[in-house]
Amino acid sequence: MAETKENYDLTPRVAPNLDRHLVFPILEFLQERQLYPDEQILKFKIELLNKTNMVDYAMDIHKSLYHTEDAPQDMVERRAEVVARLKSLEEAAAPLVTFLLNPNAVQELRADKQYNLQMLKERYQIGPDQIEALYQYAKFQFECGNYSGAADYLYQYRTLCSNLERSLSALWGKLASEILMQNWDIALEELNRVKEIIDSKSFASPLNQVQNRIWLMHWGLYIFFNHENGRTQIIDLFIQDKYMNAIQTSAPHLLRYLATAFIVNKRRRPQLKEFIKVIQQEHYSYKDPIVEFLACVFVNYDFDGAQRKMKECEEVIVNDPFLGKRVEDGNFSTVPLKDEFLENARLFIFETYCRIHQRIDMGVLAEKLNLNYEEAERWIVNLIRTSKLDAKIDSESGTVIMEPTQPNVHEQLVNHTKALSGRTYKLVTQLLEHSQGQAAR
Amino acid sequence: MPGSTVTVTIGYLFSNCRLDIRQGKELNHERCPRSKLYQQSIKYLGPPGSDSSTEEELDEVQDTNTAAANASRYLKGGSDSDVDDDLPKRIVQPAKEKRFEEMVNTAEQMKQNFDKINKQLEKVMRITESVKKAPVLYIKTRVTLEDFLNETLAAEKKMSHSNSKAFNSMKQRLKKNNKTYQEEINKYRESPDQTEEVKVSEEDLCDKDPKEITSEWINQKHKEVVSSRGRKGTSPFELVDQLTHLMRIAKTPPQKLEILFSVVSAQFDKFVNNMFTILDLLVKHDNIVVTVELDENLVAFLERVDAEFFKSMQNVDPHTREYVERLRDEPLLLALAQNVHDYFERRGDFKSAAKVALRRVESVYYKPQEVYNAMRKLAEETRKPTFPESSRAMMDALVSLIYKHGDERTKARAMLCDIYHHSLMDEFGAARDLLLMSRLQDSVQRMDISTQILFNRSMAQLGLCAFRVGIITEAHGCLSELCSGQRVRELLAQGVSQSRYHQRTPEQERMERTLQMPYHMHINLELLEAVHLICAMLLEVPNMAVNSHDAKRKVISKSFRRLLEISERQAFTAPPENVRDHVMAATRALTKGDFEKAFWVLNSLGIWKLLKNRDTVLDMVKARIKEAALRTHLLTYSVSYESLSLDHLAKMFDLSDNQVHSIVSKMMIWEELHAYWDQPTRCIFFHDVQHNRLQTLAFQLVEKLSVLAESNERAMEARTGGGGLEYAGSGKWQDNMSYRGTQMDGTSRMVSLNRGVRV
Repeated sequence: MAETKENYDLTPRVAPNLDRHLVFPILEFLQERQLYPDEQILKFKIELLNKTNMVDYAMDIHKSLYHTEDAPQDMVERRAEVVARLKSLEEAAAPLVTFLLNPNAVQELRADKQYNLQMLKERYQIGPDQIEALYQYAKFQFECGNYSGAADYLYQYRTLCSNLERSLSALWGKLASEILMQNWDIALEELNRVKEIIDSKSFASPLNQVQNRIWLMHWGLYIFFNHENGRTQIIDLFIQDKYMNAIQTSAPHLLRYLATAFIVNKRRRPQLKEFIKVIQQEHYSYKDPIVEFLACVFVNYDFDGAQRKMKECEEVIVNDPFLGKRVEDGNFSTVPLKDEFLENARLFIFETYCRIHQRIDMGVLAEKLNLNYEEAERWIVNLIRTSKLDAKIDSESGTVIMEPTQPNVHEQLVNHTKALSGRTYKLVTQLLEHSQGQAAR
Repeated sequence: MPGSTVTVTIGYLFSNCRLDIRQGKELNHERCPRSKLYQQSIKYLGPPGSDSSTEEELDEVQDTNTAAANASRYLKGGSDSDVDDDLPKRIVQPAKEKRFEEMVNTAEQMKQNFDKINKQLEKVMRITESVKKAPVLYIKTRVTLEDFLNETLAAEKKMSHSNSKAFNSMKQRLKKNNKTYQEEINKYRESPDQTEEVKVSEEDLCDKDPKEITSEWINQKHKEVVSSRGRKGTSPFELVDQLTHLMRIAKTPPQKLEILFSVVSAQFDKFVNNMFTILDLLVKHDNIVVTVELDENLVAFLERVDAEFFKSMQNVDPHTREYVERLRDEPLLLALAQNVHDYFERRGDFKSAAKVALRRVESVYYKPQEVYNAMRKLAEETRKPTFPESSRAMMDALVSLIYKHGDERTKARAMLCDIYHHSLMDEFGAARDLLLMSRLQDSVQRMDISTQILFNRSMAQLGLCAFRVGIITEAHGCLSELCSGQRVRELLAQGVSQSRYHQRTPEQERMERTLQMPYHMHINLELLEAVHLICAMLLEVPNMAVNSHDAKRKVISKSFRRLLEISERQAFTAPPENVRDHVMAATRALTKGDFEKAFWVLNSLGIWKLLKNRDTVLDMVKARIKEAALRTHLLTYSVSYESLSLDHLAKMFDLSDNQVHSIVSKMMIWEELHAYWDQPTRCIFFHDVQHNRLQTLAFQLVEKLSVLAESNERAMEARTGGGGLEYAGSGKWQDNMSYRGTQMDGTSRMVSLNRGVRV
C-alpha cells in the first residue's frame, strides 16, 4: 500500500517547478503524513536549506537528524558568511530603506515613476545603485526566511525599478513571499499580475514562455486550493489554450489538480466537455486516479470502474500536499476537500447513470454510490426535492423510476438555431471591424 | 603504348598455352611443386654433371638464338627483371678481368635471384589461384636468363676455375628448372615480339585473345575478383583497376552492367577507406588547423556518397543477391558517418554535425529494432563504432542535436523521421504529439517533393501504428487521404502508377524515378490497403446502419463506399482473392452481424505475418469487429424490438456484460440509440421517437444552416489572417510566427489529424 501511495505522490514532479522555499510546506506535509522515512525528509530539507540563507534552521535539522549538539564546520562558516553579507547589503540599501521608513518622505512619491527617480536623485542622492541594492537586500531577506520584509521591499522596489526583467523577478519574489505568508488574496492579485506580464511580454524563446507558464501554474496551486474562489480560478487559468498546451507538453501531472477542481466545482460544467477531450488525448502519457475517474464516467461509462477509482481518489487526496489540507475540529481532523470531492464524484456517477436508465434498483444504486440503503434513499429524495432529478421512488419494488425526458422537437430545433444568429452577428461585426481597419489604413 | 595492343599480344600467347593443355600435353605443375624443385636445385649445386639432353637443349636454344636476341633487344629498357641484357655486350669490351669479377658477382646474385623468383612464383600462383599457367614475367625472365647463359658461353672460352664452376652449376639448375616450363618457353620463343607492361596482378585478366574471351570466362573472372573483395591482401585500389579492365572487355551489356556494379562497390570500399584514413589523420593530429573549406568538403563527401548509395539501391533489382550485398555496405557507411559526426562534435562545429546527423537519422529511422541490431552487429565488425543499444536512443540523441543546430529543412526532415520511428515503435501518442506540435501539416506543402514524400511515409506509418495499438478512428484519419484514390504508390514513391488521365512528360518521369524509395525502405502496400479498408469497414458499417434510410447523408469513407457498391453490383461473388475482396467479404458478414465469419475472412489474409505482435493485433481486430457487430445489430434491429436483454446480447456477440454495457451506454449518451437501461431486469428498453417527414426535413435544414455558418466563419478566418473568433487577430498571428519550427512550442494541439497528404 505504501508503495502505491508513493506512486501517487507528485512531489518529485512538482518540486522542480517551485522555489526552494515553496517546497518546505510540501516537505512538512509529507513528514506529517509519514509517507517517507523521517530521516530521508530531513536530509532533503538540509539539502534544500544549503542553498538558502536559513542556516540556523539547517543547523537545527542537522542536530535532530544526527542527534548531536555540534553543527558541522561548513555550516558554521556559512553562517558567519551570511551574517557578513547581510551587514554589507544592509549598509548598501540603508539610504533607500531609511527614506522608505520615513512616512513624510514617502508621501512625496507620486504615481509618475520618472518624477520619483528624479526626485530621489536630487534630494536624497539615491541613484540606480541604491535601488539595485534594495533589490539585492530584499532577495537576501527572502533567502533568510524573512518573507514579510522581503515582500515589502520588493513592493517598493517595483515602484522604482525601470528594468522589465528585474521587475518580473521582483514580482515572482513578491508572489512567493505572499504565498509563504499565506496572504491568499494578495497572492492571487500578484499571480494575475505575473500572468499578465508573461502573456504580454515577448520572451527570448517560446520554450521560455512555456516554462514561465508552468511555474506560474505550479505556484498557483498553493493559492487555488486555499483561496475561497480558487477552484474557479484554477479552471479559468488552466483551461486557457496556452496554459493547457503547456500542461500537455511539459507538466501532465497538473491534470490531477484541474480534474479535482472540475469535480468539486459545479460552476464550470460547460468546460468539462473540453477537458474530457484532453483527458482522452493524454491518457497514454499520464495516469492518475482522479483523471481516470473522469475517464470512467465520461468516456468509458464504466461505473464499477469509477467506483473503484473513487476509493483510490480518496487515498490520493488525503496524501496530496495541495488537496489534503486538514482542518482541526476539536479532536477530529478532517480533510474538507475529500468530503466535497466524494460528494460531487458521487453526483457525477449518479447523473450519468440516470441519464441512461429508466429504472434503477435502490440497493444497486446505494452500492454504486458507496452509501447504505437509507442514506441512498435520503440522498435521492433530496435530489428530487431540490428538483435536480426528474424521478420518483417506487418504495414497493425498491426502485427509482426516471421520468423519460423526451426532448420536444420544436425545442430541439430552436436550440440548434439559437446559436446560429449569435454566430452570424459576431461574424458581421468582425467583418465590419476588418473593413474599417482596412479603410483606416 | 596503347593498352589494347598489349592485351592482344599477351593474350595470344596464353591462349596458346591453354590450347596445349587441352591437347593433353603435360605441364606438370601440380605434380612437381616448387618446393620440390627447389630442393632439387640445391642438390645440383654440387659438382656439375652433363647428360645428352642438356646438349640437345643447348642446340635447340642456339638455333633460336637470333630470335631471342631480337627479343632481348626489343625488351631493352622495358624489362623489370634483374637480368640486364646490356651485360653480354659490355663483356666483349676491354678490361676483361674486371668485368669477369663483376660477372661472377652477378652470377652469384642471379643464383639468389633465381631462387627468389622461384619462391615468388609459388606465391603468385597461390594468390591468383591459377595453377595452370605461370606468369609471363616468370617465363620471360627464364628465357632471357637462358639466352644470356648461352651467349656468355659462346663469348667466353676462357674462365677461371671458380667462375666456370659457378657458371656450370648455374646452367644445370636453370636447365632442370626450365624443363617444367618448356612449353611456355617454347611458345614464348615462337612469338617473342610481345611486350610486358601489365602488372602482375592484372596479367591473368588481361592476357587473353579477344576472340577467345567468352562470357563464361568473364563471369568466372568477375566472380574471382569480387570474392577477393574485403579479403586480406587485396587492396581496394587494385580491385578497381581489375574490374575496370574486365568491364572494358566484357561482351554483353548486361555483363558490363554487372561488372560495373562491382566496380561501384569496390570504389565504395576505396572511398570509405580513404575517408577513414582522413579522419584518423585528423583525429591523431589535433593540432592540424583544418580550414573551413575542408570541413565543408568532408560533409559534402559524405552527403555525396550517401546520395550515391541511395541511388545505387534504387537501381539494383531488389530480388537479387546483389541487392543484399550492397545493403551490407550500409553499416560501413553509417560507421563512417558516425566518425565524421564525432569529429565535428569534437571540433564544436555543430552545424556540420547536424547535417551529418540528418544523414544518419535518415538511414536509421525506418529500421525496426531487429534490423537495427543486425546492422549494429555488422557495423561493429568493421570498425568498432559505438552505436547505442536501442535505435530509439540513437534517434533521440541525433534528433535533439538537429533540433538545436539544424536549419529549417533539416529540422523538418528530422522531425518526420522521428515521427516515423516513434510510430514504428508503436508509440502513437508521442508520434502524434510531434506531428501536431510541429505544425508540419500546414507547412509541408511548401517544402520540396522529397520531404513531402517523407511526410506521406510518416503519415502512413503513423496510421499503421494507430491501427496496431487499436485506435481505429485515428488510423483511418491518417490513412484515408493517402489510400483513397489510386495513387498510393506514387505518393509513397514506391513505384510509378499509370494514370490514364494525365500524361507525364519524360522529364517528370525521370524526376519521379530519382525520388523512388529503395526497396528495403518500402512500406508494404498490401498491409496499408488492408489496414485502411479494415478501419473504414469498422467505422462505416455501423454508420451505414445508423443512416440506413438516407445512405448518402454521412459518409465516413468514400472510397470504401465505392468499393462496396462495386462489389454489391456483382451478380455472383467469387471467393475472395485480394485484400479488397477479403474486406468486402468481411463487410458482408459484418452487416449481417456475423462477426465470426468476418473475422475468419480477415484472419485468412496473408499480411498479418508482416506484423511483429501479430496475435495481439488480431485479438484487437476481433474485439473491434465484435463491437462493430453489436453496434450494427442494435442500430439495425432496434426498430423491431421493444426490449433486449443484456445477457442475450453478451452471449450473442461473445462479449462480457461490462463491455456490452459500456458500448450500449456510450451509444445512448451519444444519442445514436434512443433507449434506456432497465437496471433490475438488465434489459434495454427502446423508446424510439419517429420524427415525421416535416420534422426530419427541419432537422436537415438546421444542420445545413450550421454548416453554412461554419463555412462563413472559416472564410472570414482565412481572410483576416487566422484571427480566430476567440482571439484578437494580431496576437494569434504573432504567436504562430514565433512558434513555427520549434519543437516544444506548445502551440495548439487540437488540429485534426487527417490533414492531408501531398505530392
